[in-house]
Amino acid sequence: MNSKLRILIVDDERIVRESFKHWFVNAGHMVGTAASADEALVRLASEVYDLLFVDIKMPGKSGLELLEQVRQEFPEASVVIITAYGSIESAVQAMKMGASDYLLKPFKPEQLNLVLEKIIQQRRLTEQYRYLKGTLEQITRFDDIIGRSAPMQKIFSLIPEVAASDASVLLIGETGTGKELVAKAIHAKSRRAHYPFVPINCGAMSESLLESELFGHQKGAFTGAQQARKGFLEVAENGTLFLDEVGEISPKMQVDLLRVLQDKKVVRLGSRQSITVDFRLISATSRDLSRQIADGAFREDFFYRINVIQIDIPPLRQRKEDIPPLVAHFLEKLGHETTRKVDRVSPGALEVLTAYDWPGNVRELENAVERAVVLAKSRTLGQADFAFLKASSALAPGACASLEEVETAHIRKVLADCDGNVTRAAGILGINRVTLHKKIKRLGL
Amino acid sequence: MRPGPARGIRVGVIPMGEETRLAAKVIAAHVEGFMHLESMVLDPLPRPDFALDPQRLQYDAGCVIEDLESRPRGRCDKVVGVTAVDLFVPVFSHVFGEARLGGRAALVSLHRLGEAEEGRRPPPARVLERAAKVALHELGHLFSLTHCSDPGCLMHFTGDVAGLDATALLFCRYCREFLAADGCGQRSEAGLV
Repeated sequence: MNSKLRILIVDDERIVRESFKHWFVNAGHMVGTAASADEALVRLASEVYDLLFVDIKMPGKSGLELLEQVRQEFPEASVVIITAYGSIESAVQAMKMGASDYLLKPFKPEQLNLVLEKIIQQRRLTEQYRYLKGTLEQITRFDDIIGRSAPMQKIFSLIPEVAASDASVLLIGETGTGKELVAKAIHAKSRRAHYPFVPINCGAMSESLLESELFGHQKGAFTGAQQARKGFLEVAENGTLFLDEVGEISPKMQVDLLRVLQDKKVVRLGSRQSITVDFRLISATSRDLSRQIADGAFREDFFYRINVIQIDIPPLRQRKEDIPPLVAHFLEKLGHETTRKVDRVSPGALEVLTAYDWPGNVRELENAVERAVVLAKSRTLGQADFAFLKASSALAPGACASLEEVETAHIRKVLADCDGNVTRAAGILGINRVTLHKKIKRLGL
Repeated sequence: MRPGPARGIRVGVIPMGEETRLAAKVIAAHVEGFMHLESMVLDPLPRPDFALDPQRLQYDAGCVIEDLESRPRGRCDKVVGVTAVDLFVPVFSHVFGEARLGGRAALVSLHRLGEAEEGRRPPPARVLERAAKVALHELGHLFSLTHCSDPGCLMHFTGDVAGLDATALLFCRYCREFLAADGCGQRSEAGLV
């Protein structure tokens, strides 16, 4: 942690603010000043401060009231109370309310130095604690899967149980609900954790490409096969193979895969020699496979083979209590990934987020938070920062909207009309199925 | 990039009261010897009675600095006032010296540098050495140096005379480099000393 602090001096006397400021600037810290508690709160809403020096006696809102508000709204900032002789009781009260320290005016310069050293030490320990806590949480909370809702808690308790076995798992959930994250968590908790996790999006590849990618090929198996290549079924040796959008696999490929799952052997394209493989299969789909079976588009025997254990991941609109922790998680994640310091959401903005239906689920929520953070004017996201959600949900024909907004709304509608069947939706939209999958991913649908 | 003065910087040392003339001469000699800057003792000024706080019976360092900065620049780029009165800034009980980062005027008080320790007054030479250390520290601030984390460096913050005595008459390697960039001393293996 940097020993240079961002300090805010809150005192109604200009001369006190100035003398503090000069001393801290000479010591190499970054300093801001505020003449009242209200001005301090305005500054805190737009800038990040590590430490506040607050005079206990100020006209209007007192230093203690400011301390209380700062502890609630900006708990990461340390507060040192400045008080005069005779008001020691207030200083004691301030310490009880969570102040880091207090100084009795006038104090010796070395006292201020000691207080600063103590605060820097405290903050260093807090940072270390947060880092270690975060590391622990990453181990226990299954990476990026966040959720305090009952269905998600049930999934969390299911993951270690499922991970202990080698049975095939089928994850069912709408696009963007986090199926791959659950698959990764199962892999991470399993005995195969130290071996590869190989994810394949079956919907994003043509049949011939998928076949070549899964089974591998010998040199000269087809035009352009200049070298022998291992397929993903071999690459996943001892690990986990994750087949996303398994409902998009053609009936012919289903037969081939069924044979692999039964015999645990693969034959590369252009070869006759079988290779023994050992992997755990996790599949995922956003489609209604039983309906596909009834329509004859999905093989029943293959379905039972991949569906030994079924986990249903509910859409975000059915677990809205997960929205606040998800938003907090995305803000923290973006804080690490970008230089922008946006770390809170106003209650009004949370209402907007909770009211929205999130057809693109958690992925759409993440995209929305990222967009709001990039365009945010202050460190707190307000209702206005999520105005685009209303715009996209209320998009009407003829309304003034960007091409991307119209495209998003139209694809969403066609997908809904086709019950999430990408092949049918692609047919209606007049585009390739692979192209539609790419658009779904890009637009966060 | 920090703004830095051109080479050929002149530092004026102003005795503020008769009793500070010798200290002013010593400080000027140290500025030449340790910072390789041309320095001169300027005409004395009276004791800064205008800055007396009747309640604290101390002198407001900020007021004195403002007064020094408001005076005509003359031939000197930076000035250091030397006074025998007890200085304070509003939040502190006292200060040995005061300067604003990148400012033009600094101030040194001899008042607490010669206080008796364990019943014995320190020898005059030690008081003068302390005054020179405070002056060089404050001059460092005028050249935009902030406090240094190296306890052996003149720019390290010390709040008492024991700390001052423990500090060597040296800027650390990093502070020397910063000063050299601002036209003080020579950048070399041996640094500024």
